[in-house]
Amino acid sequence: MKIAVCSKGIELTSLCDERFGRCETFVIFDTKTKECFAVDNEAKNEGAGAGGKAVKILSDNKVDIIIAPELGPKANNAIKAFEIEAYRALGNITVEEQIKNFQEGKLEKFENSSVEEHSGLRRV
Amino acid sequence: MKIAVLSGKGGTGKTTVSTNLSAINKNIVLIDADVEEPNASIFLKPVITKEEKIYVEYPVIDSEKCTLCGRCGDFCKFNAIIPAKNTVLVFKESCHFCGGCEIVCPTEALKYEKREIGKIIKGTTLLKNYMEYGLLNVGELSGVKIIKALKENIKDRELVIIDSPPGTSCTTVAAVEDTDFAIIVTEPTPFGVSDMKMVVEMLRDMKIPFGVFVNKAGLGDMEVYEYCEAEKIEILGEVPFDKNISSYYAKGELFTQYMPQYKEIFENLFEEIVGGKNEN
Repeated sequence: MKIAVCSKGIELTSLCDERFGRCETFVIFDTKTKECFAVDNEAKNEGAGAGGKAVKILSDNKVDIIIAPELGPKANNAIKAFEIEAYRALGNITVEEQIKNFQEGKLEKFENSSVEEHSGLRRV
Repeated sequence: MKIAVLSGKGGTGKTTVSTNLSAINKNIVLIDADVEEPNASIFLKPVITKEEKIYVEYPVIDSEKCTLCGRCGDFCKFNAIIPAKNTVLVFKESCHFCGGCEIVCPTEALKYEKREIGKIIKGTTLLKNYMEYGLLNVGELSGVKIIKALKENIKDRELVIIDSPPGTSCTTVAAVEDTDFAIIVTEPTPFGVSDMKMVVEMLRDMKIPFGVFVNKAGLGDMEVYEYCEAEKIEILGEVPFDKNISSYYAKGELFTQYMPQYKEIFENLFEEIVGGKNEN
């Protein structure tokens, strides 16, 4: 399966970003081939609707699981419509540590959005 | 004649100028196009005669006809419509009702429904002027539709003052477009001047003649005067910074009704615009 993690950089060793819709980039890890690649988050500069667009970008990349620190209402609606599962990232750790935590069953699944819309806009 | 009152920087005195200017003649119609936070009615205290609801449209998908081809999503600039796995996501509040998704849909699976975004309130002021103001519902992204409806409502009136939103974005453009003259209200401070320069550029782009009115004169520095001289922009008048004026403002009163020595400034402003020719 393909796991996408919101990231500040393009490596597995990059730190996980603090937001989903407007994160810098997505690092996508394929658990079968053990390969990983980064996808620039084109949604980050959108005026509005970043959450929805970010999910679409990941769906186009055939992602099955998203690991994100928070999910706004549009992102939450989008993951349900695209049938992708999302799990809550833990603390200030790297992408590969997030994936490891997920595989060990330590991450909580998002049932609903956890923040209000545009929360990611206020962070520089 | 349609006269827009705008500023760039908020809080310089657009509403002060608009409302006190409308007070000089009861035939002047005033519309408050700052639909996110209309405040002219605080000073003009209208008796309300009518309310008009304003609607916008959003797409609704017929799931029987939709093939999830994705063309509507590719077209939409606002990410308001996103075809997903088995359904099409619609984010109503993001939709700018351009009608494009319906046009690109190959199976006629799209139609539009309407939803209310706000209203226009109409009435007669305490000085017997006719006025209308727009009120956008909290949480809505754009008041442009309401502003366009306000402009449409008064298009046949002879003398109209349009109290415009601050800034230079799409709501201000909607308020100011197709007017005959614009009064840029500014204050003599660095922020006032820097935001005013953006407004000057916008008005020149839109080819609307304009002049500058300096509110709170004496409060700051001379930069606004130097700028206007260098750019050959006419200063139509000014009101000095006077704590008593702020006092009446804070009480929600038209200060010229209580300080008649200032009435002349607005009468002269009116004459300058309606009487003379002002091309910038």
